Parts: sequence; structure tokens; C-alpha cells
Amino acid sequence: MICPVCKYAMMVVEYHNIELDYCNSCKGVWFDSGELELLLKSQGLEEPKTFFAGISNSQEAASSEKKRKCPICGRKMKKTPIGGQPEILVDVCRDKHGLWFDGGEVTRLIRRLAEKHPPKHDSKEQVISFLEEVFEASG
Amino acid sequence: MPIAVYVIIGVVVVLAIVFWVLYNGLVRLRNQVKNAWAQIDVQLKRRHDLIPNLVETVKGYMKFERETLEAVTKARNIALQASSAGAGERAKVEGELSSALARLLAVVERYPDLKANQNFLALQEELTSTENKISFSRQFYNDSVLRYNNQTQMVPSNIVASMTGFKPGEFFEVTVAAEREPVKVSFTQ
Amino acid sequence: MWEQIRSNQIRSVVLTIGMGVLLILIGYFLGLAFDSVVAGLVIAILVWAILSLIGYFQGDSILLSMHGAKKIGPDDHPRLYNVVEEMKIASGLEKMPDIYIIDDPALNAFATGRDPNRASVAITSGLLQKLNRDELQGVIAHEISHIKNRDVLLMAMCSVLLGTIVILAYYGSRFLFFSGAGSRRSSSRGGGGGNIIILVVALVFMILAPIFAQLIYFAISRRREYLADASGALYTRYPEGLASALEKIGLSTGQLKAANKATAPMYIVNPFRGKSLQASDLTSTHPPLSERIRILRAMAGASFNEYDQAYRQVHGGGQGVIPAASLTAETVPVRTLRLEGETGELNEIQRARETSDVMWRLSNYKTIACNCGARLRVPPQFKQPQIKCPHCGRTHQV
Repeated sequence: MICPVCKYAMMVVEYHNIELDYCNSCKGVWFDSGELELLLKSQGLEEPKTFFAGISNSQEAASSEKKRKCPICGRKMKKTPIGGQPEILVDVCRDKHGLWFDGGEVTRLIRRLAEKHPPKHDSKEQVISFLEEVFEASG
Repeated sequence: MPIAVYVIIGVVVVLAIVFWVLYNGLVRLRNQVKNAWAQIDVQLKRRHDLIPNLVETVKGYMKFERETLEAVTKARNIALQASSAGAGERAKVEGELSSALARLLAVVERYPDLKANQNFLALQEELTSTENKISFSRQFYNDSVLRYNNQTQMVPSNIVASMTGFKPGEFFEVTVAAEREPVKVSFTQ
Repeated sequence: MWEQIRSNQIRSVVLTIGMGVLLILIGYFLGLAFDSVVAGLVIAILVWAILSLIGYFQGDSILLSMHGAKKIGPDDHPRLYNVVEEMKIASGLEKMPDIYIIDDPALNAFATGRDPNRASVAITSGLLQKLNRDELQGVIAHEISHIKNRDVLLMAMCSVLLGTIVILAYYGSRFLFFSGAGSRRSSSRGGGGGNIIILVVALVFMILAPIFAQLIYFAISRRREYLADASGALYTRYPEGLASALEKIGLSTGQLKAANKATAPMYIVNPFRGKSLQASDLTSTHPPLSERIRILRAMAGASFNEYDQAYRQVHGGGQGVIPAASLTAETVPVRTLRLEGETGELNEIQRARETSDVMWRLSNYKTIACNCGARLRVPPQFKQPQIKCPHCGRTHQV
């Protein structure tokens, strides 16, 4: 997998049997939809189809952030907010190939963890808390 | 006069061709039976080879199953000695081995440590597959024998068969009830 | 009962001839544009011959490399290798087919190769991780049946024929259109009318021919699929394995499409347009999955006879699908059930990791197991000497 930001080959981090693509230079993370499915299934949560449907029905967020291209299909992804407070803008592939978290976004997620938000049992929260757990050290 | 000669020559040639075709058909079927038998043989040998390995891996975990383990080893040794016997005899001793193995794998359920052992898991896949291969090769062998035997008994190829000494093949019949199914490497029996 | 191949071939041959006639008609109409029927026919036959030769000698390797398929051995993925070997034995195939894994989340599998001794079976990583052992066995049995029944070459040659018709019709209709428009302008006022009618007929034919060819192609492949399902059930003695696999494949439709970065550009230049070359694809050829599942589930035993009965039952009587020559009065008992989840089998996540382990290894990724429980896969392009574990912060030597 090629990092959509810096175009380097990404490494893969496997944690609790879930694989994430991780760019060692920009610290961005690609959450592939197949892995997303495995994570949500193992938590007994909704199907990724509904997860993606929920995300893609939401409005495209106005943002000054640069558009990212999906590392799988190469199409421009959609910026969309995910999670509670503070909101984080992730890039979602319109063809449901996966989610992209910019390097800074992961760091902000982890800071949020430090502020002790109680995790809710909801798919989006599950994705976020999994990311927080995996990337503890890059905060 | 010459016409009669031509007719006779013609009949002889036609008969020779028919004979040749039927004979070749029988040889082809007999070879298929032979190959199918060789395939069973390969798989049975493979199982004989896997068992010492299995017993070795399992031994450390199973303190109280000495009898079950010994039964497997014993059945394997008997099967090993019968490895040049005919289909009927082999089917019997291999059937005994299969049921001994089934009993062993049934008790594995009581040893969660063993089920987490990577080495055992790999062996388990090999054993499952070997059992499957044995039953699939037996399936193919018996089908081949059936077709070959049908040919040796049906007119007109039965004439060719009896003239040239084709003997009917022996089925690999399962004699032990437990062996009707491939050993299920399933732990909840 | 193993000799169903022959009687079924007659029907296939008739249909293939139908496609050949379409090709020749295309050549004929193309020839009209040049004012030389012979030239049109020569072009059509030449294109077909070249594509056929390529398809015959290189078809399998083109198809496999187009999908980025990776060949595996017995140690790479023991379960897959074993299952293929089991089905090779059950079918009485003489030579072990090559096994390939395609790194693609879509659920699919296909068989290729010009004869039973030079065959390959390919399966996507997505399907490999979705299926349990019995289902995998069912899918592989279906593919091995295609090899054993010699469907692979027939379907490959048919799809080359189809591809040729599609290409010629595509370029021919444009050529006709422009040359027709041109000749109308330049031709004299007298003789233009008949010419235009022929051109219109030719154009319409060019548009319809690929559709007809496609229909014939499906008619051929449809029957082959049923037959491969029947053989698969017979080899495994367990129709439910394939039925349940098809069900999983059916449920995933519309979820993910083949989206491999390496192969996506190839599709664009590929004149066969992917679909037509996939000789014995598990899903793209036609009988609806739900119907195939219902037939398999309606089988009382595992023999051809019982498949045929189930087929007629699902279709409410009428003609069967298995050639009469291979129907015997016998019944073959189905293997007894194994319950999923109780057999110490791997679950889906474990199968996913098992599959991706193989894919990373085959793509030359290095694996570093960190003490914190995370595992890092480092791409071969990674040049730095050290890497920091993003989970615990430990530094590892690469």
C-alpha cells in the first residue's frame, strides 16, 4: 500500500489480529474496510456496510485540508467528521475501500484519550478507541 | 473364390481390431485401478509416518491417556506389517487404526493447552487432510474397480478378458463401523 | 458416470459453431465497407486466429499475471494446498494443479490452463479467509471439475471468440459509420441508396452481434457450471459445502469489487475486458447463485442422478441438466455433517491473519514481532536501519 500523502510504501501494524497500514514518515493511518469489518464483527457491532452508509450520508465537511486520494482506487476521498468532541476530520473512500487518518488526527485522538473520555459502545467509538490503543506511543 | 478370401480376410481384420480396442480398454481400466491403489498406498504410508510424530507431541500433555496412545501405536504397527497385503486385509487393519486415532483425537478436547500448541495444530491439519485423502482415494479406487469389473463381466469385453486373463479387482471395503466416515478431527465426540 | 464429457460436448460444439458464424458474418459486413468481402473475412479470421493462439499458449499466464496472482507451495498455506490435493485425488486428476492466491478482497475463484495436465486453480485472498474447510473444499471441487471436464480450454476458446466479436464489432461499427458517412457525401446521386441500406443493416448487426455472442457464451457456460456443481458435490460427497460457500459469495455482492492497484490499469488496456477472458469464473457466468444453492440443498445424495433430480425439482419438472449417458440409477450417500465451530477450526479473523501472513511473505515484507504484542510488517522498499513500534515505542533493527 502506498501512503496517499507522501507516496512511500506503508508498513503494516498488526495488533489484536487487526492490521492497519501505517506511514512511518507522516504517521498517517489507513484503516482498510476488510479489517474494519473484522474489528466490528469481533466486537459484535454493525456491519461495515451500515457503518459506511452512515458516514457517506453525512455532509461533506468544508475544510481547508488537502483532498486525499484513496490508496486503493485512486479516487478522491470525502472529508467527514467522526467521533464526539473534539471532532476529527477523516477521509472516507466513496467506494467504501477504507478510512484515512492523517498523522495529526491520530495524535489528537490520543490526546483525547489522555483527557479520559469514557468510550461508548458504538462503532465509530470502537474504531477510534482501537486506533488510540494501537498508536499509544506515537502521541 | 477370391471374393470369399476377401470376406474372410475382412472378417479377421475387423475381429482383430475389435479385439485390440477391447483389450486396450481393459488395460487402461486396469492401469487406472493400479494407479488408484498406489494413491491409497501413498496416503496410508503418510498416515503411518505422521503417527509417531503425533504421539510424541501429544504424550507430554496427556498424562492419563496411556492406553489410548498405546492403542494407536499398536494399531499402527499392525497396519505397517500388513502393508503388502491385499485390499480386503488392509482395509480391515487400517480401519482399526482409524478408530484408534478417532478415540485419541476425541480425548484431546480435555487438554486446552494441547489445542493451543502450534505444532499440534499443524499436525492436526495434516492428519485431517490425510484422513480425507485416504477416503477420497478409496472413493476413486472403488469407482475404478467398479468400472473395471463391469468391463470384465460385460459382453463382449468379458470374452477378451477371460482369454487374456484379466481378473476382477478387489474393493477396498470398510469393515469397521467407525471407519465408514473419515476420522473427524473434531473434538466434541 | 465419469464420462459425461463427451455427450455434453456436442451441444457445446453446436453453440460454438453459432459463435463462429457470427464472427464470419461480422467479417462479411466489415468487408462491405472495404468493397471486398474477402478482405473483411481475412481480417476477422486473422484477428481471431492470433487471439486464439495467444489465448491457447499464454492465456493462463496472462490471466494470472493480470490478477497479480501469486503461486503458493505446500508450506505457504497448508490447508489450501491440502484441500486442492484432496480434490485432485477425488477427481482422479493425474497431475497436481498449480495453486495461486490473488490478493483481492472480492470473493472469487477460477480455474485455468489448456489441459488437465497444465492447469491452475486461483482463489482470492478474500474468499480464502471467508470460507471454512468444507466450503473451501466445495469451491475447489467445483474448479477441479472444470479442469477434469475440460471446460477450461473450451470456455477460454469461446471467450476468445467472444472477445474477437466484441473487438471487431466495436471497431467495425465505428469504421462503417465514418466510411458510410464519408461515402454518402462523395458518392454520386444515383447508386447511393442501396449502399446505405446495406450499411445500416451492417451497423445494426455490428451492434447486435456482441449481444448474441454473449448470450451464446452464457448458454455454454451455464450448463458447464451446473455440471461442475454436480461433479463438485460428487467429489466431496457433501453438496452443503459448496452451497454454503456460494451463499457467502452471494451475500457479499455489491460489497467490494476487484480493486487491486496493480491490476486496475491492466483492465483498461485489456481488450478482453476482463469478464470475457475469465474462463470458468465462479460468479460471473450465469446461473443465478440462489438457484444453484437451492439445487445443491435439494440433493438427496451426492450422485449425478440426485443432482439431476434436484435440478428438476427446483425447476418444477421438465428436462434435467446432466447428460443421460452419465446418469446411472445409483445413489451416493452424503458424508455426515460436521458442525462449524465445534471442529477446532480457525475462525474468520484467524483465517484472515493466516491468509495475510502468506501474502506478506510472498510480497517480501519483513515481519518484526514486538514484545508488546504488536507485529510490524516492513515493506521491502523500507530502507532505514531502525523502526519504532508505534504501539509501545520500542526501537527495532530492520
